[in-house]
Amino acid sequence: MGRYILKRILMLLPVLLGVSLVSFSLLHMVPGDPAVLLAGEDANPDFIKALRKEYGLDKPLYVQYFHFISHVVRGDFGISIRNREPVIKLLKERFLFTIQLSFLSILIAGSIGLIAGVISSTKQYSLFDNLSMVGALFGISMPIFWFGLLLMLFFSVQLRWFPAGGKGTIVHLVLPAIALGAASSAVIARMTRASMLEVIRQDYIRTARANGLREFIVIYKHALKNAMIPVITVFGLEFGYMLGGAVLTETVFSLPGVGRLMVEGIFQRDYPVVQGSMLLVATTFVLVNLLTDIAYAFFDPKIRYE
Amino acid sequence: MKRMFVLAILMLITFLFFIPTQSLAQVSGGTVTYAAGADPDNLDPANAESNPSEAVNRMMYENIAKFDPKLKIVPGLATKWEQSKDGMTWTFYLRKGVKFHDGTPFNAEAVKVFFERMIGPEKPSRAGLYVPFVNSVEIVDDYTVKINLKTPFAFFLNNLAHSASGIISPTALKTLGKDISRRACGTGPFKFVEWVHGDHLTMVRNDDYWGGKAYLDKIVVKTVKEDSARVMMLQSGDAQLIVRIPSEDIPRLEKDPNIKLDSTETLRVLYIGINCFKKPFTDVRVRQALNYAVDKEAIVKSLYQGRALVSAGIVPPLATGFFSVKGYPYDPEKAKKLLAEAGYPKGFKAKLWSPQGRYPKDFEMAQAVQQQLKKVGIDCTLDTMEWAAYLAATRKPPEENESELFLLGWAPSTAEARWILYPLYTTEQWVPQGNNRSFYSNKEFDDLVNKFTRATSKAEMDKYLKAAQELLVKEAPSIFILVTKETIGYSKKLQGVINSPLELTYFDHKTYLEK
Repeated sequence: MGRYILKRILMLLPVLLGVSLVSFSLLHMVPGDPAVLLAGEDANPDFIKALRKEYGLDKPLYVQYFHFISHVVRGDFGISIRNREPVIKLLKERFLFTIQLSFLSILIAGSIGLIAGVISSTKQYSLFDNLSMVGALFGISMPIFWFGLLLMLFFSVQLRWFPAGGKGTIVHLVLPAIALGAASSAVIARMTRASMLEVIRQDYIRTARANGLREFIVIYKHALKNAMIPVITVFGLEFGYMLGGAVLTETVFSLPGVGRLMVEGIFQRDYPVVQGSMLLVATTFVLVNLLTDIAYAFFDPKIRYE
Repeated sequence: MKRMFVLAILMLITFLFFIPTQSLAQVSGGTVTYAAGADPDNLDPANAESNPSEAVNRMMYENIAKFDPKLKIVPGLATKWEQSKDGMTWTFYLRKGVKFHDGTPFNAEAVKVFFERMIGPEKPSRAGLYVPFVNSVEIVDDYTVKINLKTPFAFFLNNLAHSASGIISPTALKTLGKDISRRACGTGPFKFVEWVHGDHLTMVRNDDYWGGKAYLDKIVVKTVKEDSARVMMLQSGDAQLIVRIPSEDIPRLEKDPNIKLDSTETLRVLYIGINCFKKPFTDVRVRQALNYAVDKEAIVKSLYQGRALVSAGIVPPLATGFFSVKGYPYDPEKAKKLLAEAGYPKGFKAKLWSPQGRYPKDFEMAQAVQQQLKKVGIDCTLDTMEWAAYLAATRKPPEENESELFLLGWAPSTAEARWILYPLYTTEQWVPQGNNRSFYSNKEFDDLVNKFTRATSKAEMDKYLKAAQELLVKEAPSIFILVTKETIGYSKKLQGVINSPLELTYFDHKTYLEK
């Protein structure tokens, strides 16, 4: 197991190299110049020239790429063109925030999704099942920014229960976490239901029931644990997406997360920021996938990694 | 005795009259949350390039001379000034008893450091305000400075009042170095506390402010990108002031009894640039026809619902040096006639570009223009681009530049006509060196700009300024359309908000929050 994990972590290196190469070339292929953008309509040519020089944008692309990689290896992600902060500092601030939001969100999504999914599967075609599956359809189809604005309109403007966006205490995170988690909880609920329905019909469940085990134990211990593999896959993917930044939620609720850092970086052609956040997001995704794989082994002892 | 009694009564009445109104009206204390549309980019005034930066800097920094709300120049950190007869030397008498936030005294030395940084080897991004004009700075005594110019410059005071000319503590400049871009240290009524990128910037009251302590305790400027989110924050009370209100939300906010809306005419003229390097736009008759073909009144009335003003030329009415010129009325028949004279009786095909979301209703306006041009036979394809790509595409040198008609806005940050006419239309300012994206070139015009810039008397300056603006309208290197208005909204309890025509919203020491 230890060797397996080490191997997977080493695999990160080629992935990151690929990600950095692709993001670097894409960024530079898009027209637009960070210095011109910063200066706006009334650009000062001397300033543009000086900024290009300062950030090495006047050098050939391969030189720029090599410069970037050789500094990243030493842990230096460069300085933001837009606000002159070290990229590493921006990434740290934003990522800590994104982790908080993602955890709360996946917690909400996971608990709602799992519970709804299990109940739906045990009471197939009941009123609850139908309602929750229609709800799940809603959750998946609803545009997140629209749902976010609705939540804000109702809970902040009308009821004044929660603040209308911004960073602060946990209270500030409730609405965004619900908005962000809505789609995930829907996916998790549907996946749990489907997987449970399959497991419940297995022989060993019948055996467990025949042995006189309580229905609760049968469902939550024997059935759910075996139904978890596909659910965990979805869980991991959803969590990975959340950690990669939730641009829309962050924009609607004015939250400083990784997603907005990256997208605003793209609009401002803030190359160091975009490249740094791409690497961060890629790393998180790979690590979350690894954790998911490890979790498989926990839920299903048949799965072994050598 | 009786007179004494009457006097005493009168005094008592006056006293009673004064005290309650004073204490009812201006209350000290309170925190204001200000929701801005974007994050500041830089807190170093000399390198700040965006409105959110300038707005916060205006609360922490002060200038030698400043703009009043109507953009007149009034004393700031200098109490008075004189210009020598030849226009080559300016003497400034500085305010005494002013301290920077770090305790450094404000004096002639600080002003000298400011000018020398602007014209020195460091080259801040706004160095262009001074490098072409300032030769040297002399300290006469602790509170008197003399600035020697290279050439007379009519709008020198406007440059001093520009946001970039906020005076920084010389001690902070030395100790912080480049970090001055992320922490501010000026003489303003509010002091810098912290800046969390993408989230908020906090300022607190400067208790040592020379003009008297500010009423507000604290200002939190939040970055709220999403337009509707800003509106909701104002309605829910999470913010006391918001800027850049989308026009769809205005009617709803107007009905809210707790909210006040304020719409100010700005310095921003929206126009459609014409690439004068390309045929058929090299012909002045074609350019005039384009101007006759656009119904600006209709655009202002139906598209902007009156929240804009028709503009005859490129200089907005509030800019120093504005002259009322006769523009182009809507006259499609005349447009057709001019096109026929120029050899295009059936019109022609053209490309029209517009950004989307950069200026209020920009793309919608381009659509209206497209329809109106079609009526005189000019068939335009309308394209939009993401802003960075748009700037890049319109900045290409003439031979590679594919633009034909392109919507843009221009607002002179110095609030005077030169910083419109010079960068946008003189020959030496062709892109990519300058900002003349139209590749307009006219020797007579260049000459007039040069003359009013170097003028030493107001009469002389006005003569050339007026001539330049008239010539420009006649030559029509752009379709001049409208001047925008900026609408902000705030809680009715907030008093004394400054909504400057420079598209900057900020507070001063007299702004207060009713309890």
